[in-house]
Amino acid sequence: MTSADLTGVDGPGQTPPIRIRFRLDRGGFVLDLDLALAGRGVTALFGPSGAGKTTCLRAIAGLERVPGGFLEVNREVWQDDSRGIFRPTHRRALGYVFQEASLFPHLSVRKNLEYGRRRRAVAPPVDFDHLIDLVAVGPLLERRPETLSGGERQRVAIARALLAGPRLLLLDEPLASLDRARKDEILPFLERLHRELEIPVVYVSHAVDEVVRLADHLVLLAEGRVAASGPLTETLARLDLPEEFADEAGLVIEGTVGASDPTYGLVRLDFPGGSVQVVHSAEATGRRLRFQVKARDVSVALEKPRDTSILNLVPARVVAVAEAKGGAHVLVRLDAGGTPLVARITRLSRDRLKLAPGSEVWAQIKAVAVLA
Amino acid sequence: MGEVLQITFFTLGVALLGTLLILPPGIALGWWLARRDWPGKAVVETFVALPLVIPPVATGLILLKLFGRRGPFGYFLERTLGVEIVFTWKAVVLATAVMSFPLLVRTARVAFEEINPRFEEAACTLGAAPWDVFWTITLPLGTRGLLAGCVLAFARALGEFGATVMIAGMIPGQTITLALGIYQEVQLGRDTEALKLLAISVVLAFAAVWLSERLLRGRTK
Amino acid sequence: MKSCRPIIVAFIALVAIAASATELTVFAAASLSDSLRVIAPVYAKATGDTVRFNFGASGTLARQIKEGAPADLFVSADELRVDQLEKAGLLLPGTRQTILANQLVLIVAAENAAPVSSLADLAKVGVKRIAIGEPATVPVGTYTKAHLEKLGLWTQVAGKCVPLENVRAVLAAVESGNADAGFVYRTDALISQKVRVAVMVPLAEGPKITYPVAVVRSTRAPEAAKTFAGFLAGPEAQKIFAKFGFLPPN
Repeated sequence: MTSADLTGVDGPGQTPPIRIRFRLDRGGFVLDLDLALAGRGVTALFGPSGAGKTTCLRAIAGLERVPGGFLEVNREVWQDDSRGIFRPTHRRALGYVFQEASLFPHLSVRKNLEYGRRRRAVAPPVDFDHLIDLVAVGPLLERRPETLSGGERQRVAIARALLAGPRLLLLDEPLASLDRARKDEILPFLERLHRELEIPVVYVSHAVDEVVRLADHLVLLAEGRVAASGPLTETLARLDLPEEFADEAGLVIEGTVGASDPTYGLVRLDFPGGSVQVVHSAEATGRRLRFQVKARDVSVALEKPRDTSILNLVPARVVAVAEAKGGAHVLVRLDAGGTPLVARITRLSRDRLKLAPGSEVWAQIKAVAVLA
Repeated sequence: MGEVLQITFFTLGVALLGTLLILPPGIALGWWLARRDWPGKAVVETFVALPLVIPPVATGLILLKLFGRRGPFGYFLERTLGVEIVFTWKAVVLATAVMSFPLLVRTARVAFEEINPRFEEAACTLGAAPWDVFWTITLPLGTRGLLAGCVLAFARALGEFGATVMIAGMIPGQTITLALGIYQEVQLGRDTEALKLLAISVVLAFAAVWLSERLLRGRTK
Repeated sequence: MKSCRPIIVAFIALVAIAASATELTVFAAASLSDSLRVIAPVYAKATGDTVRFNFGASGTLARQIKEGAPADLFVSADELRVDQLEKAGLLLPGTRQTILANQLVLIVAAENAAPVSSLADLAKVGVKRIAIGEPATVPVGTYTKAHLEKLGLWTQVAGKCVPLENVRAVLAAVESGNADAGFVYRTDALISQKVRVAVMVPLAEGPKITYPVAVVRSTRAPEAAKTFAGFLAGPEAQKIFAKFGFLPPN
């Protein structure tokens, strides 16, 4: 790819705050990255192991010296190998959270947290006490890192990175070394962080559930190359997603809580183009929630079905149809009053229903997963 | 008894001074060997290991040629600083320093290699410049191993003979260490005196090695 | 296999000769190393006996003999060591004889020498280090200390003295410039180009330096040892010794 892939940038002609270009060919391992990131929001670098995600992150941090690199953050050129510019890691205003929390074992939690703070002149984006509350490490301050659990350590690591006043936060699979229970413990913190932070975050992961919960923008990496990138919703809705991600094809939609029905344990989520009812505990009206609708959970009917157990029926128009990998299925891109949806049906059904761009149909959404 | 005490304290003093002198370059070199790669690294490693492998008297001979009055370093030192090395206590310090150096570098290198580089990287990302990282992260984390190396080097310095006898000679009251003393007493047929010095040597060496082992073992807790 | 036969015959002959010849081990003072090395092949040609040497300070050699080192003959640079071994019963009685004498000299480097023209100059500031043999084990050192004490100079220069293991070490120290001056035998000064004699201690005033030789009691070849000792005292060997600067035993 030679042209920058714009993710989440408002309008053409505006220089994106973060531009990243790395080209590396190291004995079989290739990295070919050309990205532009917005000034805020979480960009997920997603891909299978060995795709080069960690190398990419380390290159951004300056921990790996990748020749032919270019890195500009908020109009500061941190690296430009064509001009011989290379700002060493310690002078890049970034925060880095490693896969295994690298808390300094010889310092207390408090001293760990203060380490970065003492060294960067830039004021941190979040106040110390507020941050301590946010990641709930207050009671841990005087303890030693080896006495903390994996989840606690990662929380402290995140707080430590933030307290150093970064302009860019890099997270390298921060939840990968945690078990299910710890992960579920931390994800809400990350979501809170996501909502409160005003700096861009690059989040590397090979776990889909983390990505769909946290990402605003998605960059799919396969074998060192960018396979797809764009806003989360759109990227996942693409019909030509590479094989590794095919299973995730579908949508992440943000909706507002319209009404709660405690009797039946349902919550209605409104989004432009329709609404869905999902099984969920009561929520305050007006609350914004994300939910995921996978293509394989969406089917299509020409007429509004009656007397069906499927609760969620949304009118839509067919935008595009494409062959899915495997040959027996097709992916149908739908437009439901402005909100995209993707359905996966058999080729036979498509032929029988004579679906083509422009056809007016009803989308039946069998399962909805509320993310947060 | 007075002579025995003088020899003991002289030996301790010289070993201490020698160890202190090699501390900065030893730790620095240990760090370089642990963390960096460069063309010719193997040559440096070999050179550093030489005093450990070649006979101590051979090392002593090399030092004699270099630091003797007419040798390249000796001549320079005498001319410009008026300092004489050979046949003085300074030669004893030099011999012990040179012989202990490889031991210190080796243990320092191992101590640094055992520190996960990720801690140093994390410190970098938090804004610590390389020196800062070394003082606040690397050194504290490597303290135990380094200390063990120091004690080992000190113990080696205590027992140094071959190189010392070559460049310092055995001048009573000026260059006699425990090791040289033992040799001399045996030469003179004074076995009891030799045994006294031997006993002290053994006790000191035992204490040093024991301490070093304690430090090392405590590290891998 | 025809070419092998002469080789086999020669080999057998050599073994036969070797079996009948004796190999002597002689412990000798370091100052004798050059001269004895010249004498040994002469002796071998004359008698067929080979002589192996162990050179060192006489005190060190005496100690080694005391500890059972396999020596056949002992040539010392002073009477004291031989007295000690005799008293300990380690020598074959009746085999002791004095074969040589020597003279004590003060040497300095041939070039850039320290300013020394008399022994009293040694006490001056310009002389920083004086190489001597270790007085307790090396005869030349014993002689040096005795003479300096006699002159009343010992207390002044003792702190500057570097005691070394044998007379050749003293020579080397002065040659290399690591010592400003040194006390050796006249014979040692003669073999080195890099030093010159600054002061010759007159024979009348200086210490009486004599070289006794004796057969070690534990020898396995007493006759061969006696023969060699006799050779050393004889005219042929004495001529060689004289060439090296040794004096006849007065």
